[in-house]
Amino acid sequence: MELKCNETLPERALHIALKVEGGKCKRGDGAGCAIVSNSATTPGDMTERGCTYAGCRGVVGGPVKDAIQLTHGPIGCAFFSWGYRPHLADTDFHMKYTFVSDMNETNIVFGGEKKLLQSIIEASQEFPEAKAVFVYNTCSTALIGDDGRDVAKQAEAIIGKPVVFFECEGFKGVSQSAGHHVGNETIFRQLVGSADAAGDFSRTINIVGDYNIKNDIRTFEYLFEAIGLKIITRFTGNVSVDDLKIMHKAALNVVHCQRSATYIADMMQEKYQTPYINVTLWGMKHMAQALRDTAAVFGLEAEAEAVIERELAKIKPKIDYYRQRLTGKKVFIYQGGPRTWHWIELLRELGMETHTAATTFGHDDDYEKIFEQLDEGSMMIDNPNVPELEEILTHRRPDLFISGNKEKYLAYKLGVPFVNGHTYDTGPYAGFLGMVNFARDLDKALYAPIWQTLKRRAKPAPAVHHSAHGFEEVL
Amino acid sequence: MSVVVKQSRAVAINPTRSCAPIGAMLANYGIHGAITINHGSQGCATYPRHQMARHFREPVEVASTSLTEKTTVYGGKGNLLAALKNIWERFHPTMIMVCSTCLSETIGDDIPGVIDEFQENHPEITIPILSVKTPSYIGNHTTGFDNFLREIANNLPDRKKKKGETNGKINIIPGWVNPGDIRELKHIVREMGLHGLWLTDYSETLDGGYYEPRLHFARGGTTVEELRSSAKSLATVALQRLVGGEAAHIYERRYGVPAHVLTMPIGLANTDAFVETLTEITDHTIPEALQVERARLLDALVDTHMFTTGLRVGLFGDPDLLEGLVGLVSEMGMTPAYVLTAGENGPWGERMVELTQELGVESEIILKGDLHELHKRIKAKPVDLIIGHSKGKFIADAEQIPLIRMGFPVEDRFGYHRRSVVGYNGAIALVDEITNVVFERKASSVVSNTLVELGVEGPTSSPIILSNGNGNGKH
Repeated sequence: MELKCNETLPERALHIALKVEGGKCKRGDGAGCAIVSNSATTPGDMTERGCTYAGCRGVVGGPVKDAIQLTHGPIGCAFFSWGYRPHLADTDFHMKYTFVSDMNETNIVFGGEKKLLQSIIEASQEFPEAKAVFVYNTCSTALIGDDGRDVAKQAEAIIGKPVVFFECEGFKGVSQSAGHHVGNETIFRQLVGSADAAGDFSRTINIVGDYNIKNDIRTFEYLFEAIGLKIITRFTGNVSVDDLKIMHKAALNVVHCQRSATYIADMMQEKYQTPYINVTLWGMKHMAQALRDTAAVFGLEAEAEAVIERELAKIKPKIDYYRQRLTGKKVFIYQGGPRTWHWIELLRELGMETHTAATTFGHDDDYEKIFEQLDEGSMMIDNPNVPELEEILTHRRPDLFISGNKEKYLAYKLGVPFVNGHTYDTGPYAGFLGMVNFARDLDKALYAPIWQTLKRRAKPAPAVHHSAHGFEEVL
Repeated sequence: MSVVVKQSRAVAINPTRSCAPIGAMLANYGIHGAITINHGSQGCATYPRHQMARHFREPVEVASTSLTEKTTVYGGKGNLLAALKNIWERFHPTMIMVCSTCLSETIGDDIPGVIDEFQENHPEITIPILSVKTPSYIGNHTTGFDNFLREIANNLPDRKKKKGETNGKINIIPGWVNPGDIRELKHIVREMGLHGLWLTDYSETLDGGYYEPRLHFARGGTTVEELRSSAKSLATVALQRLVGGEAAHIYERRYGVPAHVLTMPIGLANTDAFVETLTEITDHTIPEALQVERARLLDALVDTHMFTTGLRVGLFGDPDLLEGLVGLVSEMGMTPAYVLTAGENGPWGERMVELTQELGVESEIILKGDLHELHKRIKAKPVDLIIGHSKGKFIADAEQIPLIRMGFPVEDRFGYHRRSVVGYNGAIALVDEITNVVFERKASSVVSNTLVELGVEGPTSSPIILSNGNGNGKH
């Protein structure tokens, strides 16, 4: 379990553990306690982590489909966060457009408040149909002390619609996780409860913490509707500003991503006494359980059972087919946070074993949930960096790696089959129907003929005219 | 006559450009075994990595000093020292490049000072450690690339040079291009019987093969030893004025290496200028192979001119790319109706006015422009084609105008990083691609290599709708 690449980084041992005999935890430093998480990254360790801005603009705020997504800062943050994460909606304004106050050197010296105000007004004039302006703060504008909150207030009075200012400067936390918190807190404070709606809300729910990656939500919202429930607000995949304003009207919050969105469920429980339940909406067992748990709150158990039976029957033959092809395969799951523990059971339903599990920004509760589900002999690792990933892929040699776009080409260069769990090469993967897609992609990744071709025909790199600075010879 | 206009909005909507660090990171990928440390928030490393992975489809590894709130208050020195040590111990790179960010520049970290301190404390580490200033609020992604080249030119070459001593090579600075472009330029230099010293060369590091086992450092790239000897080269040829032009002048001023700063060699005349410069520097004549390629390009221009002459084209992107591209566009008989770039470079605008005048075309040259501006102009007065990077797809989709993908990033198609747009071969490929797109766009069918157009201008200038000959008569 000792990773060779960490010989000079002993502190990384605190972030790595094995599940040993008797279900006990053995951490890298020999201790029997849980791994350390949500702590500052070792500088220069080649982390995969992003920043607070990314967690707020990219994950929580970005999917809101009819808000102007305006970054207050220099150009880069806005360019890189534009249109790459497929948090789809039934309209695509939020995917097609990015706005930025475009701070230049003069603005950094003399302050950017005026330019921000002007930017908000201009953006709103160009797109009068937008329902709000979301303004995201960045490192430089936070450091020079721009009072974005005040500018937002002024702008709101001028344009007559909500201007929501997110204090999500990149350096704020140890990972993008801090940005999720800022996103939740700000949307709750400024939008939720700011409008009222009439009608009967006794059988309504919010789906909290699903971002509709490649239309994930479509795979399960019809299931909740089939048992007689109405979805008011989706936080924040395929959501409008108006939906967020009346989010408090729903009778129950159904929380999917319990890292990036429990915050708002907690705040709503405190302020509006809205109860919430935690669910996993991936995999047969968990999806069924989610429907049962939700139905139980409303006394709709019989309806839920009927829906579950009907839907499972639809996918069973396909899942059975894939299970016999996938059984026994060992998987390394590395996701941002909860997806890692959401998927261990799904993979088990397909006969697959998670032999290494990692997250980028998980907290203690995420790792508890992972550890509980792992088999003995499995490894758990927090905030893995590039050399660690490479060593795990090379030496623990999983049959399959489920991770994101950045890690994809590393896996490919090492000849390891890969499924993109962040943005899905195809998808969607949630719900009952999505699980068939997931299984199909796992199968495709594992059985593509290229791996046999590599095994038989790949060759070492030809010698170069200059001597390569080899890893082995240095150590 | 062409006119230069400056977009006046404060807010940037759908920018064409990203920020400086990614340019330095990209350039550093062209040095064999070099590693980048980005001194700032984690997002400043992770976002560009992700962006580069989407364009090049390769693993891209960049270290971050992972600054957080605490280090922002007390300064990032400790994190940078730790990162330098960790990168050295784990990777043993041939060179380290530290690039700054908005964050580290705004808090005023003295990066060169920290590097000096590190080198004093670690005399055993003799590799070059370069500091490049890349705050996002100055310039754009090309600024980072250019600053990197200036630092290389100022710091890496060995100053000890006997009178008349040469390495027999020519420093070639391709600028911000694709791996395929560098390979095409190498082909030209090789055919000329010359040896290039490439500043820098990521033709293989960012478009590598599959080898078993994976090498510690990707094959390819210019070595530090080559960079050391670059003061002894016969001349420097910079193929983009704004990315590398100044570095070429530094070589001339500091080391007496004559500088030749040219327009990016896109199209016939621009490629001729490059080839002729090579003949001026040396006494080599233009070889038969290049003469044949050149003739083949002329032949392609003749064969296609009836389908391209008179078309209006909207171009957007980096200034150097646009400067080269108007050459080929004009040679094809097309009008570069809009030439839009993000910078506010007045002299460049004036040069483009002169250049378009020489080429006999009339353009609207838009400085400080963004894609929303281009979209508005295209709506007001349409074009037949758009040429630019992937983000142009939103205009292309909305207006049903074909987009010829070029520049950085091309993230929604495969293999564009492998293509070449420079040299005679690059131009031939572009001529073919553009003509074929015209065929697909304008023709209901193609008979005997001629277009059967959707409509024709009648005597009353109302279009006469033709039957397509394929029976459906629909357009």
